[in-house]
Amino acid sequence: MIIKKPSIFIYVNNPDTSSLRNVCAGIEEEGVFYEIKEMETISLDELAWNAANDSMLGSGIGMTGNGIAMQMRGISKGRNIESYQNPDPMQSRKLGANSARAVKKLAFK
Amino acid sequence: MSYIAGVDIGNSTTEVCIGESTQGGTIHFLTSASCPTTGTKGTVANTHAIKAALKQAMGRIGRDVDDISLIRLNEAAPVIGDTAMETLTETIITDSSMIGHNPSTPAGAGQAVGEILLIENLSRGVPGTPYIVAAPSSYSYEEVAAILNQAEGTLDIAGVILQADEAVLVENRLHRKLPIIDEVARIDKLPDRVLAAIEVALPGQTVRMLSNPYGIATLLQLNAEETRTVTPIAKSLIGKRSAVVLKTPGGNVRENVLPAGEIYLDAEHSASVNLDEGAEKIMQAVSDAGSIRDISGQPNTNVGNMLSRIKQGMGELDNTPDADIHITDVLAVDTLAPVLISGALAGETCLEKAVGIAAMVKTRQLPMREIAEKLKLELGTDVKVAGVEAVMASLGALTTPGTQLPLAILDMGGGSTDAAVISEEGQVTMTHQAGAGELVSMLIETELGLGDRHMAEQIKKYPLAKVESLFHMRMENGQMTFMEDSIDPRFYGRVILLAEDGFIRMEKDIPMEKIVQVRRDAKRKVFVTNAFRALKKVAPGHDLRNISNVVLVGGSAEDFEIPEMLMEEFAGYRIVCGRGNIRGAEGPRNAVATGLVLSYAGEQK
Repeated sequence: MIIKKPSIFIYVNNPDTSSLRNVCAGIEEEGVFYEIKEMETISLDELAWNAANDSMLGSGIGMTGNGIAMQMRGISKGRNIESYQNPDPMQSRKLGANSARAVKKLAFK
Repeated sequence: MSYIAGVDIGNSTTEVCIGESTQGGTIHFLTSASCPTTGTKGTVANTHAIKAALKQAMGRIGRDVDDISLIRLNEAAPVIGDTAMETLTETIITDSSMIGHNPSTPAGAGQAVGEILLIENLSRGVPGTPYIVAAPSSYSYEEVAAILNQAEGTLDIAGVILQADEAVLVENRLHRKLPIIDEVARIDKLPDRVLAAIEVALPGQTVRMLSNPYGIATLLQLNAEETRTVTPIAKSLIGKRSAVVLKTPGGNVRENVLPAGEIYLDAEHSASVNLDEGAEKIMQAVSDAGSIRDISGQPNTNVGNMLSRIKQGMGELDNTPDADIHITDVLAVDTLAPVLISGALAGETCLEKAVGIAAMVKTRQLPMREIAEKLKLELGTDVKVAGVEAVMASLGALTTPGTQLPLAILDMGGGSTDAAVISEEGQVTMTHQAGAGELVSMLIETELGLGDRHMAEQIKKYPLAKVESLFHMRMENGQMTFMEDSIDPRFYGRVILLAEDGFIRMEKDIPMEKIVQVRRDAKRKVFVTNAFRALKKVAPGHDLRNISNVVLVGGSAEDFEIPEMLMEEFAGYRIVCGRGNIRGAEGPRNAVATGLVLSYAGEQK
């Protein structure tokens, strides 16, 4: 039996490192696990959508360059729950926290 | 053939009904409409709403307001309801002696005692003394963790207070686990080098040591006298997930009892009652007093000012010298209001005792003739003031299928709850009671700490649901509803109101069960109390058992739960009670307007 921690997936392609750190901090503060994976595609919508669908928790984040987007399973591709271009540190932190709050069924910040 | 309009001006809504009078003297109802009342009921400012409602109603049958040949206004009962809220206690923190709040993610668990030490002064710490370290948000979680880990060998650090929302992030990076409290907004107000006790509750629990006076005494080594003074602190920390108590020499939390003042009842059996004694005592005094001539408050107290303000408002309406303005009824309701504690460090609130009061002001007559004159001038239509409100309402209520004389009506509006009984001979007995829909809204607003009357009105009107995923929500009755399309993420995880035209989001994070309870309690406290009070006054022999039928009319009878509440209460008296259905089509609204048009037909015969 393969045992894997249920985690939020973060699919990235050459992401901005400081905003990635903030996204991770946002998830960690809410006490949820995450996994980061390098991907081929550069489409932000696709990264987020794939991450959400591959995650056992149904919550995923896509990041490429300066763009970040958060998705949930069941939502069609491109209709991101939240997304930013050039986010400030607080926005990245909040997006990470929201991806965790989606799992915890809490209202978004 | 001509168009006759009936117009009913209420405290909150103006309703119109349009009927066609045929040669044979019969009335054929065509249309109706309602608009929010403009200005205080009974003033010329009302004409705006009347015109708007008439236009709306005539528009529905493709006609102009000009086509109306007669407008009949009700001789509005010269009573106006008004509401006010008085807080009876207040909590004040001096010298920042406590913090108690519910951050969403504190870290660690347990309690700790130590001296407050700001993180920039850490180098000044002395080995052997336990410290509680306070870090402002200018320090990142990595810096805080690194500094604390470095100091671990030399200093005895017992707990941490953070300004930013980073407790879990810091804790995950510490070598040794500590209780950590975060989201303390005014961390700059924490006094350096003062003994403090902090506590973080286990997941799913609330603080135990710091919400107990002896717990605080144990942690801070207080003597019996000091323990007495921390009791209000312990009380205000009940139910919190994390808390800090500081031992400052002058620091204190005081619970003040505000001088609320006395209410004087000038009645058959005159009496006075202090507002502090609570709603039950006040209502007992009001009911024991018999018929009340006037109610006033002790001068220069909260209640005195409030009652004189209400009277003054009425005085502006009827400025004839013999105006004769009296407050003839009050409804007092006990409530608890979450009030921001003055001197709080993290936005703490404390539930304070409060009394909500609705008052009923009576004058000789409202200047209805002036309104009629103005309307006549502006529309060029014949306008008549016709009929007493309660009689008209009864006439209208009788158009409800399944009703017969003798009949009692309970008119639950925005400002007042009125009752009338018509006997088989057509004799009408009536009463007006203070307190109705607006008092309910005020109670909801204060008890939930909304600070927003509009939101409170919405909560009163619509059932609740909690959005549990983007595809389903749980209704307040436990039922689940699944959606074909995903729900807007703005509503995710939130409590929402199910309005006719979509969802309304609750901005404050209050559990659905709590909102439901507050809403139902407010409605019960006002309407059930008032229904009994009012019907007892008009019932033959003042006995409810002499009433067989009650028809509920007015705006608040449209409510989705008030009629059911009353039905349950009246079931024990074998009373047939239900929401009216005016003309078999209008629901509980439009009774007075309908009565006005009907009475025209009666006058023609």
